[in-house]
This record gives sequence, structure tokens and C-alpha cells, in this order.
Amino acid sequence: MTSLLNVTDLTWSVANKNILQNISFTLEQGEIVGIIGPNGAGKTSLLRCILQYFNNYQGEIRFKDQNIQSLNRRFIAQHIAVVNQINEPVFKLAVIDVVRMGLLPYKSLFASESKEDKQTIAQALEKTGLTVLKNEEFTHLSGGEQQRALIARALVQKADLLILDEPTNHLDVFYQHQILQLIKSLNLTVLMTIHDLNLANDYCSRLILLDHGKIIADGSNDQVLQTQQLSEVFGLPCQQIIDPITGSKKVYFKATADLKNGVEYA
Amino acid sequence: MLKLTHTSLVLIVFSLFSISMALTFGAADISSNQVFHCLLTQCDNTLSQTIVWQIRLPRVLVGFAAGAGLACAGAILQNTTRNPLADPYLFGIVSGAGLGATIASLAFHFNMGNQLSIALPLAAFLGALLSITLIFLLANFVQRIEQLLLAGVAISFMLGAITQFMLYIGEPMATNRVLFWLMGSLARVEMSQFYIIAAVVVTAIIVILAYHQHIDALALGDENAASLGVNVNKLRLLMLALCAAITAVIVAYCGGIAFVGLMIPHIVRHYLGSSTLKLIIGSSFVGGCFLIWVDVIARSAVNNLELPIGIITSIIGSLFFLFIMMQGNRTHD
Repeated sequence: MTSLLNVTDLTWSVANKNILQNISFTLEQGEIVGIIGPNGAGKTSLLRCILQYFNNYQGEIRFKDQNIQSLNRRFIAQHIAVVNQINEPVFKLAVIDVVRMGLLPYKSLFASESKEDKQTIAQALEKTGLTVLKNEEFTHLSGGEQQRALIARALVQKADLLILDEPTNHLDVFYQHQILQLIKSLNLTVLMTIHDLNLANDYCSRLILLDHGKIIADGSNDQVLQTQQLSEVFGLPCQQIIDPITGSKKVYFKATADLKNGVEYA
Repeated sequence: MLKLTHTSLVLIVFSLFSISMALTFGAADISSNQVFHCLLTQCDNTLSQTIVWQIRLPRVLVGFAAGAGLACAGAILQNTTRNPLADPYLFGIVSGAGLGATIASLAFHFNMGNQLSIALPLAAFLGALLSITLIFLLANFVQRIEQLLLAGVAISFMLGAITQFMLYIGEPMATNRVLFWLMGSLARVEMSQFYIIAAVVVTAIIVILAYHQHIDALALGDENAASLGVNVNKLRLLMLALCAAITAVIVAYCGGIAFVGLMIPHIVRHYLGSSTLKLIIGSSFVGGCFLIWVDVIARSAVNNLELPIGIITSIIGSLFFLFIMMQGNRTHD
């Protein structure tokens, strides 16, 4: 079986500074992979290279065994859906307008919406629990609902790979779990950046730890979430405990040192 | 969809009403009965025949096409740049046209009236093309769309300054002519000009509507649109080119008519929302009707004096501008 996504020796630099350095990993069908790491580690840059927002990188990114640079935009959009960090629209758009955008990669210029399209949109709204909100203005939704609307759009896109950039950012605890549960329930291959390590542990099937543009660890959650490793990367003493209620492993950091000057954990 | 067809029907009916009503206004004393009689069957006399068919009808139709075109150009610039204050005038298109008109006026002597009537719009059009070319060249260097707008403003001021300098040192008659032209007027339009303007505006609208969903995708950011398969840069340049073509052809024949492109899309957004399909259909009808009625005011507000149409749109527009600004403040409180 070929992997869905193959990244080989990816290096990307801006003004002679390496943002990403020799990144290599593969993504198999059905995996939910979380990219973790401190701010500035290159998590979002990695997603952007994969999505071809930046294409002046060295190395190779292959999607379904084809060099992604040789694929046209439309093809990529039919197979990879993206939920970016939310960019507040200046103009009013209804939720259903946003969800309908998922049809774009499939439509010719003057094509109208078919019965099937309408059904696809209705199903996506249903699956994300937005049916009652479909005529609301997108900007009037809460952060969690906006994320769901973008996920609904991704469903309409019928992609095989879902890429999310910090899907739980700015969300409260309830919505964090709601969004991640939703993502998990879709049975898609998922690649996402995520800040909260414990949420990553709960919902991802595999983790990749990045720091200074390099992969520090790539493997099962247990392999990646090792306290020594996390202490070094995040610069804070890290401990692992077993959650007495859920029985799952949790990592937590203790801020002992004076952090004003960025004192590193020794 | 049903809502859109209903709204379109209302807009079409109102447009037809505006066009026919506007034909009854004018300096010549022709009753509305006579006008309708003239339109539907035959005119009572050759004078009213000439006035209705050769003076008033072209004027009203050009007014409609110009209003529709400017409103659409504004709407599409706003949606593609995600800037609610974008307007074809921001891009220096009118300043470029003004420069072209100035050069033509100064180059041709005032008694060469006939040649000037061809040379002035042509030079204005070339001037508009000049500013568009400058903006396109700059577009290759700017990273963000906000910078492109600022570049447009800078070009606008630069070309404006050159125009003012030429007017300052130029011959007073020519200067007068350019100043009047810059204020905008539909007084000298002909039917042939309507065909040209309408052809450009209709073609542009068809292309815009073809891409309406692509333009909508820009609303959530460039990267979002790109992830849906949209070639963001190409789309934006295409739309910019269409806006430029619309504005250039209108400015060339009608002179400076400011604020229509800013104001009309705002009003339409308020009632129909911001999806490109509705916005463009709404803006073209509302913009067209708006300019027809502004022109009615222009030729009937003051007895025996024709007001420049650009002055009226500027007054209405600037008040409107302040109004939305204050409304914006209120919603932020």
C-alpha cells in the first residue's frame, strides 16, 4: 500500500534562515497525526509547504505517489481540504455560503447547483450540527461553530486528507473536545497542528514533535510525549501523571524558574 | 434562489420605470404623455422626435450603463480586495484619465471642436490605461493586497499633480474645458457611446458572474481560497483588469463621476448580503437607477443650468461616507 503523503528531506528557508530543515515523514491512510512543538517550531510553515502556499522549498512532497508540484490546484483541492485559522471575513456571508464553497473544486464556471450538491451540503451541515444555523451570518457564530462550518466545507470538498491548523485555538474546553471528537468521527486521514499536548494525546493516533524546524520525534503518542524530550523542547520541567479519572496519561509543565528572561530548564 | 429572482424582478421593474420616467424630464417642454406616445408609437412632431430619441434616450441609457458599471466595478474591487472602502477611483484610474484629457485639451486648439470630441475621450481612455499599467507593474512587487490599494492612491496623487501642473501653466480655455470634463456630465453623450459602454459593462459583468464563487472564496482569506483550488493572483488581476476597463470607458465619455462605486455596493450589501452573485446583480440595477435620477437632478434642479453630475454624486457620496463611518462607530461601542 502506498502512503497518502510522503515528505522527503523538506527544507524551506526565508532570507537564508532555515525555517524547516530536512523534514521527512509519511502519512498513511486513516491516521490522525498531530504536529506539536513550541511557537516558531515551523508547524504552520510545514502545513503551508504541503499545501503549496510556499513552493520554493527543497526536497519533495508526494501526494498519492505523485509530486505535489506537478498536480494542478483543482486536483489538490479535490483531495486535500484545509481548515485554516479563522480569518474574520469583512463582508457578511451566510454559513451555507461558506459551506457551499466546498463545491468549488468540482464546478465549472457557469454550472449551477445540482440536487446532489444540495444533498451533500445538507449532509455536511447535519454532520457538523449546523443545520439550524445555516442561514446565520458566519461572523455571528462562536469560534467553535465557525470551525465546524469550515469542517462542513471540507466535507463538501470530499477530500481524502484533512489538514487543520490549530483547530482548537481560542476555543473553550467544551468546544475543544467537540471539534476534536468531530474530526475523529469523520474517518478521514488527518494532519493537524495542535498546541495542547494532552488533547493531542487524546485524539491523535500518532504525533510528530518539531523544534527549530527539525523533527525531534515521530511515532506513537507514548514515544513522542516523553518527559525528558518535552522538557528540552519546551524549556520547562515536564512530568507525566496518570489522570485519576480517565486513566489516560497526562503531561504537565511546572514553571519553576524565573521565565521573564526565558531562562531555560537545565 | 427564489428570493434572488423576486428581488431581480423588482429591480428590473424599477429600472424600466426609472428609464421611462427620466425621459420626461428636461429643458424642452414635452409632456410625459407626449414622451410615451413618442416611445411607443410615433412622435407628434420632429422636434420632440429628435429630443426624445437623440438627446434624452441616449443620455438616460448611458446614465444607466455608467451607473451600473461603476457600481459593479466598486463591488468587485471591494470583494476581491476584502476592503469595504475600495473604489475604482482609489486606483488612480480617473486621475490617469484626467491627465489624458488635459494633454488632449492642451494639444488641440479650442476651435478644433470636432477633433477634440474624438480626441478627448480617446486620450482619457489612454490615460486610464496608463494608470492601470502602472498599477499592474506595481502589483508584481507588492506582497499584500492592502499595499496595492495604497499604491493606487499614490499613483492617483502623482498623476493628479501632473494634471494640475499642466492646467496651471496651460491656456485658460483648455483648462476650463478639462475642469468641466472632470466634474462629469452626461450632457454630450450619443447613442453610439451607449453601445460601447454597454458592451464593455455587460461583457465584464458576464465574466464576473462566471467567477462569482471564486470571488466569494476570497472572503475568508487568500489561503482559504487557494485551498479550494482558486488561483488567487490570476483571479485578482483579471478582476482588476475588468474594473479598469469598465471605469476607463465610462470616465472617457462621462468624465469624473465619483462615489457611485463606493456607495451603491454598500447599500446593496445591506439588503442582499455580500455574496458576489447577489451583490453584482443588485449593484448593477441600483447603480444604474441611481445615476439616472442623479442626472435628472443635474438637469432639472436649477433652471436653465446644467449641474455637473460628478458634483452631485460627490455631495451625496461624501455624506453617505460619513454616515457609514458613524454607523460603524456605533456598532463598535
